[in-house]
Amino acid sequence: MKNFYRKVAFGLGPNEKAPSDPLEWAKNQLNDIPEFSWKGKILPEKELRNYYRDYVYGDRKVLRKKFKNDKEGYKREKNKLRHLTGQKFWWNLELCIRYSEALKSETPVLAKLWYFWGNHFAISEKDFLAQYTTGAYQREIIRANMNQNFEKMAQEATIGWSMIHHLDNEQNIGPKSQEAKWAREKGKTKGVNENHARELLELHTVSPDCGYTQEDVIQMAYIMSGWRPKWGKKRLETGDVHFNPDAHEPGTKMVLGKKYKRGRKSLSVAITDLVNNPSCRKFIAMKLCRYLITDNPTEEMMEPIIKAWEKSDGFLPEVHKAAIEVAFNYSDKYNKFQNPENWLLQMSKMADVDLIPSPSFMDLYQLGNKPIKDQRALERLMDELGQHPYLAKQPNGWSDISEDWMSPELLIRRLVYAREAYYKKSGKSQTTEFYEEMIEKNYDNPSEILQIINQHKELVHKHVILFNLPETLKS
Amino acid sequence: MKISRRNFLKGSATTLFLAGFNFPVLANTDKKKNLVVIMLRGGMDGLCAVPIIGDKNFEKRRKDLILDQTIKLDSDFALHPKLKNFHNLWQKNLGAVVHATNIPYTKRSHFDGQNLMETGGHIPYAVKTGWLGRGMKLAELKGDGLALALPMPLLLRGIPSNDNFYPSKKRLPRTELLKLLKSIYAEKSEHELANMMEIIANRSMMSSGGTSMSRKNSSLALKAGLELKKINGPRVAVFEVDGFDTHAAQGGVNGSHSDSLIEMDSIFKSLEKGLGNEIENTLVLTLTEFGRTIEQNGGRGTEHGYGSAIFMAGGLLKKTQVYTDWPGLKRKELFEGRDLNSTIDARSVYASAMSTVFDIDFKRINKEVFWGDKLVNLSDKLFKV
Repeated sequence: MKNFYRKVAFGLGPNEKAPSDPLEWAKNQLNDIPEFSWKGKILPEKELRNYYRDYVYGDRKVLRKKFKNDKEGYKREKNKLRHLTGQKFWWNLELCIRYSEALKSETPVLAKLWYFWGNHFAISEKDFLAQYTTGAYQREIIRANMNQNFEKMAQEATIGWSMIHHLDNEQNIGPKSQEAKWAREKGKTKGVNENHARELLELHTVSPDCGYTQEDVIQMAYIMSGWRPKWGKKRLETGDVHFNPDAHEPGTKMVLGKKYKRGRKSLSVAITDLVNNPSCRKFIAMKLCRYLITDNPTEEMMEPIIKAWEKSDGFLPEVHKAAIEVAFNYSDKYNKFQNPENWLLQMSKMADVDLIPSPSFMDLYQLGNKPIKDQRALERLMDELGQHPYLAKQPNGWSDISEDWMSPELLIRRLVYAREAYYKKSGKSQTTEFYEEMIEKNYDNPSEILQIINQHKELVHKHVILFNLPETLKS
Repeated sequence: MKISRRNFLKGSATTLFLAGFNFPVLANTDKKKNLVVIMLRGGMDGLCAVPIIGDKNFEKRRKDLILDQTIKLDSDFALHPKLKNFHNLWQKNLGAVVHATNIPYTKRSHFDGQNLMETGGHIPYAVKTGWLGRGMKLAELKGDGLALALPMPLLLRGIPSNDNFYPSKKRLPRTELLKLLKSIYAEKSEHELANMMEIIANRSMMSSGGTSMSRKNSSLALKAGLELKKINGPRVAVFEVDGFDTHAAQGGVNGSHSDSLIEMDSIFKSLEKGLGNEIENTLVLTLTEFGRTIEQNGGRGTEHGYGSAIFMAGGLLKKTQVYTDWPGLKRKELFEGRDLNSTIDARSVYASAMSTVFDIDFKRINKEVFWGDKLVNLSDKLFKV
């Protein structure tokens, strides 16, 4: 049963007592969205987007012209511009905020589910979104909506600037729209871009199981045409998302057999219909089970989650509680190979590894400077471990299937980093007693584990073995 | 036109896998033959890479994306002007193209399409192994050895103990500790983990040469060539190049689709350099999930399509040619009125290639790797048998 603490959170830290009722302990973390536990600077998405704007505008509109015959000069000035806009710093700060929720907050269960949703509505590697805005998007649109209905999260994520830009909806122009007409008069063609519409159906809501057709995708794209960042000469593509009727496809659209009128309201109506489609709750329930319990969720596992969804109209705290309860009920039966990020956070929490730089140290950073090495440690580490949360390769996010993470190479990273992490621990946690207590608290077979790790004398080796035992790799 | 860095960045993220060591089997054959697959992720535009010459339908629908100064391959087809290294191979009788081909997948989702291009199946996510992995198993090749990248691609799954390797400067824990972990895994019946630990403990690459290796594409391809050249080295290498999904700013000669094609082209070059004379006994093939629409979209990009092309290189090719059963580009000839049709099941090419390189009867491959699907043996037409 103790693997439950690791399954739905990151295990119990040295200052935490084992709760008398683990299920209640977990469920109680899901009602509200507390303040961030990170005590340093936290920038609003809008401000970070302005830094992004300064970078793309400065590069595209200023430097490329100014240095068109001077490759070296261009390189030098562009590098300066990177630092002036914090390109190497912000995402490290975001990782500090992200990981503080797992390691330092009172709501690690909420954090684990936050990571789930951030990956569900993934912003994958594109342009420099990861360096500037992805972390903020996950704070302001994903986490902030975890005490709302799924519908609200879906609505806001869909027209979030990061998502619209990430999935090219700014290129999605109704072929019969005013803009397309203007373009034709100039001898150009403008038309629909299906990318965002397809992912909204396939990845974010109903999934291919619902049986939509290519025509549904195109019709959905027509509904979405016109939703894009407000273009400005200085803002370029970084303006707030708005609905531009000139780019919107006129006429009635039909998605999954339902008609939608032209105009700005249709997208929100269509999202409401999608999230209320039975395929959507089934898909989300399956994904929650796959994330928390096993690669192959059964109908029995999914059912209570779907029920909770139906009863609460997709109210996420209720959906989450149902999922956590299912995970609890199956905790002895199933162990899931953990992805690199969850593994790292478990080790850091249980063994008291000093993973996150301090707020005061991070706040020392000044724009225009190159961040110092330790301020960039998290970004590099996540890359080494093979799972930088803001750099998923595709819009479907990082895989939550065990097999995708089971490889010698990724295991090597865990071996190597477990050793490094040991030396980031405070002296008082580098004792045999500390490990005995931690193992007792977090594992169901403490004496067996102690016997195994005691085959090695040095504590650092015990540490490396412990965090690469099947009991730790899988939870 | 807006220039998006996305495709360039994605295109640079090349990864490499090497696999298939078979010392005992090798002793029975006179030469070691190698198979290299380059996965082109995102949907490679066959009509941008190998455009048709003088087709008005094509020129009309893509006016902003037509390339200047293409390289003429034959009377019907030209080559993208940036594919200099491939052209070089072509001139040496070491390059060929199969056109208007695709895996039998028509639904235009990257995720489903990429899953199927790797499994070779019909239903997304239904098959858990890759066609190359199954082919290697049939050839009794072993997976252990080395491969470069994270994580293991589906294409290679299906043979036991596949390894992968991604250059790093870090040091491994001491061997006795690895051995202890291995025995613990074995005791707890965690066979997969035990296998992985065995590979790790035996790894020699970590200390010799591996540490200073760059992750850059050219260096990975050179390394692959050098490894494939070794008589006791791997026989299979897999690369992946991302960034072909150019919904916007696909551009012409200097557009974003070109960036990814150039990335592919540089792999040809470094492979050839690394392989030296062994290019003669090697076959390189590309693989993508689908082609792109003929018509350009509003952002001067293209949408997900159907038919695409396969690039082939190496001395096991029969001759320089664009092999195709060209379906035409008039609206009624297009798939669903919008995409280049596929007249050759790409899996026929891959099955024939495996038959040639692994010296296995085509029928056996067809039956055991591709479930007896209706595939055509193209070995005589495409490869030296």
